[in-house]
Amino acid sequence: MAILLEYLFNGALLGVIYALVAVGFTLFFGVLDVIKFSHGDVLTLGAYSGLAAFVSLELLGLDLPVVSLIFVLVVAMLVTGLAGIAIGQFFVVPMRGSPAFNILLMTLMIGTAIHECIRLFVPGGANPKAFPTLLPRTPIEIGGAYIRLDSLLLLVLGIGVIVVTNWMVRHTKLGLAIRAVAQDGDTAQIMGIPFRRVVLATFALGSMLAGVAGVMNGLYYSEINFNVGVLLGVIGFSSAVVGGLGSIWGAIIGGFSFAALQTVWVLFFPEMSGYRDVFAFTTIIVLMTIWPTGIIAERYSERV
Amino acid sequence: MASENQWVIASALVASLFLSFGIARTKAGRDFAAILQNSGSWIVLLIPVAGLAIGLALHEEHFALMMLATVLIYALACIGLTIQFGYAGVINFAGIAFFGIGGYTAAVLGGMGLPSLLVLLAGGLVSAAIGCILILPVLRTKGHYAALITIAFVLLFRSFLEVNHTLGGPQGLRVESATIAGQSLFTGIRIGSFEASFYLNYVLLALVLLAIFFLMARFLEKSWIGINLDSMREDPVGAAVFGVNVAYWRIMSFVIGNVLIGIAGATFAMMQTFIAPSNFTFQQSLLMLAIVVLGGIGNLWAVIPAAILVVVVPEKLQAISEYRFLVFAILVVLVLRFRPNGLFPRSMRNFRKEVGQ
Amino acid sequence: MSKLFSADNVSVRFGGLQALDKLSLDIDEGTIIGLIGPNGSGKTTFFNAVTGLCRTAGGQILVDGEDIAGLHPRHVYQRGVSRTFQRSRLCLSLSVFDNVVIGRQNALDLTLFGNLFRRGRFIESVRENHDRVRALLSTFSEPLAARTFDPLHTLSMIDRRRIEVCRALIANPRLLLLDEPSAGMTPDETHEFMSDILKVRGDHPRMSIIIIEHEMDVIQRVADRCVVLNFGKKVAEGTFDAVVADPWVQEAYLGSS
Ligand SMILES: Nc1ncnc2c1ncn2[C@@H]1O[C@H](COP(=O)(O)OP(=O)(O)OP(=O)(O)O)[C@@H](O)[C@H]1O
Ligand SMILES: [Mg+2]
Repeated sequence: MAILLEYLFNGALLGVIYALVAVGFTLFFGVLDVIKFSHGDVLTLGAYSGLAAFVSLELLGLDLPVVSLIFVLVVAMLVTGLAGIAIGQFFVVPMRGSPAFNILLMTLMIGTAIHECIRLFVPGGANPKAFPTLLPRTPIEIGGAYIRLDSLLLLVLGIGVIVVTNWMVRHTKLGLAIRAVAQDGDTAQIMGIPFRRVVLATFALGSMLAGVAGVMNGLYYSEINFNVGVLLGVIGFSSAVVGGLGSIWGAIIGGFSFAALQTVWVLFFPEMSGYRDVFAFTTIIVLMTIWPTGIIAERYSERV
Repeated sequence: MASENQWVIASALVASLFLSFGIARTKAGRDFAAILQNSGSWIVLLIPVAGLAIGLALHEEHFALMMLATVLIYALACIGLTIQFGYAGVINFAGIAFFGIGGYTAAVLGGMGLPSLLVLLAGGLVSAAIGCILILPVLRTKGHYAALITIAFVLLFRSFLEVNHTLGGPQGLRVESATIAGQSLFTGIRIGSFEASFYLNYVLLALVLLAIFFLMARFLEKSWIGINLDSMREDPVGAAVFGVNVAYWRIMSFVIGNVLIGIAGATFAMMQTFIAPSNFTFQQSLLMLAIVVLGGIGNLWAVIPAAILVVVVPEKLQAISEYRFLVFAILVVLVLRFRPNGLFPRSMRNFRKEVGQ
Repeated sequence: MSKLFSADNVSVRFGGLQALDKLSLDIDEGTIIGLIGPNGSGKTTFFNAVTGLCRTAGGQILVDGEDIAGLHPRHVYQRGVSRTFQRSRLCLSLSVFDNVVIGRQNALDLTLFGNLFRRGRFIESVRENHDRVRALLSTFSEPLAARTFDPLHTLSMIDRRRIEVCRALIANPRLLLLDEPSAGMTPDETHEFMSDILKVRGDHPRMSIIIIEHEMDVIQRVADRCVVLNFGKKVAEGTFDAVVADPWVQEAYLGSS
């Protein structure tokens, strides 16, 4: 029972990270109908800039855990947000109207360029790097299970960020504009919504979520790696698709489902845990065959 | 290699890149492209003739011949990708996985003593068959999702190989070298005083395969099927209204493409006599697509210079070898952004000669 | 004359929008029907429903007594229905010939063996099809017929309209659906274009046509019968004169006071 609780908890934490990535994919797809595949590597960039922020704090001799954490998060979000805007401004928005695959391939290549830069130009970038411990690791007992306090805080942080994002999309002016553009970009433009600005803001928002996810991922595993983004990107994209691209709730559900698949596999076949991604991806492929447009159907219907 | 030498090669490379890029846009370049495009089938003989000439000239150089054979094998695989992506518009991010399936098939079947040509064919068929399992979801789902499925597959393929011990796990498998007509391709040809590296054998094998499938792909492009593929790529809905069986042609092109990729993979594995999961990364898959995109999506001839660029250059230039993923990623991004038709754009199909215009 | 096509209480819904509301419409062999109605009244949607591009929410669409509602567009084509699109859907990167010949899907040899290994026969069939394409194009415009291997994007808008109609005609359809074929043409060009279409129809007297048009004089000239739509409902039907005289049409569509 206690073991089960621990699995459940770890699954939930993974789920939050995946959901953060998936929400980004959903937002981009919503406003531009494109898949921006550099997303996973933007996450890596976020993790590394967070690390860089921490190292520079250390050099300054500042050692205040809470402040460090906030600083690391802010820097990561700033960098990823800017990266998102840059990619959107210079590559994705100008490519509107070219075949979807070209954009997909191009953003994949941008992602490759990002993580190759990290591998080549960050000192020791080719090897995994230790990520600092910024949260207390005190174990707490819940119903016989021991859960690390830092994991609990991470879970709360992730859920908090998702809730805030959802609130922003539902209740702020920016959110309204995003939803208007997602409904029908051309009409929104006619109605006087600054299309490009809204798109870029969405890219910034989605990428900042990736920054948070990157830092969370680093804190959780205490380690980061230049190519962590590729797999996380694919997982996030799968989650967004399974949930039905374009729906925030779908992305969240998708993220948790993916984590659940992995966790369930490890729970039932602990000696074959190496196959957990094989299992999760196979399930996704099967699910997509059954529900081609996701569990929560995509809002999109082609006009002829 | 001395570092000045590297710089010479690097600048020669950049110069030739710009030159070929420039030439492709001059009148002479366009005329040349038109000749390649519009001449009869004999023009395909250029490939074996040129390949043979280079192969013979280098006959003692193991490494150079291996590079040549690799270029030819990659070109073959990229013709498969061109049929899928360039003609039918079915994107396949799992190219390297199907290449690997061909290779592993060769490893398993070659060990059982089957004739090598049969093993090659089996490599193609097995990868096509596994592709068929994937195509079902690819068909049911629209563009983006299809891309996701092939991406998931290539990641899944690698993890699967890593943890699967019957296929050698992370260490990989040994592959039997090919034997054709009683002649092992692992021993170099000797005629009188002429002694060649065994890689020359593989150059010859790859040349034959490439020439045959290049010709077939050319016929395919210039046929009713080619017209169907192009129109459904550009507008699947419009094509369906005019009776084009979109799903069928997507499957067909995916299968045909995977056959070529699988055969290429089997040939490659036999030449290397060894394969391991680390050869089959997502990055490699992207490099294969880079060949197709850099050359010019849908232009068969462009595959060859692009394959040379992507395969040979990093090996020749240690300076960029480490940076090759970065360099090619940036190149592809720039090409897609500013020259979406590639360095050598595909020219439009016409039947002027056939109808005597 | 026998009834070729009939739509029976066809409905189409997009979410909360009732784009077609129990529309019924019959055509006899060899007749031309003009389909008119204000913007957004569901005319294009009707074509989409017939050709299998959007799902119907009820009703039957009969061709020769067979219900084709819900069939895949490809199967609708095989039953002899072809169409043009209001917003041109041609392949800009292909040649004129490729764009038109695709309409002859049923007559082309599409086997791998035939295309890859019997090249002699293939080239023969290219010649034969090229002659057909040229002949059809030259009905519309001689200069256009000489440009069969020009890339489509080099052609003028009017030529593109012609090509789209040729692609639909070369299929030898029994029912041809024309969605505002003359959009963007001057009255003179429209007049000539319609004459050309009628000329082609002269060779296929049993072909039926439904034409969507905003120009009333075009309708007056070509249509044997008119059907008026508004908000997805049929509001009037009959000869042109009868329809125009209809007080509802006078007020709602023609906007006379
Ligand atoms: N795919 C779709 N999804 C949602 N609504 C649609 C779709 N296609 C058409 N509509 C709506 O259905 C209604 C009828 O559209 P339709 O295109 O059939 O009109 P139309 O009579 O052809 O008008 P026009 O003269 O402007 O071409 C319109 O309100 C349109 O917005
Ligand atoms: Mg319309």
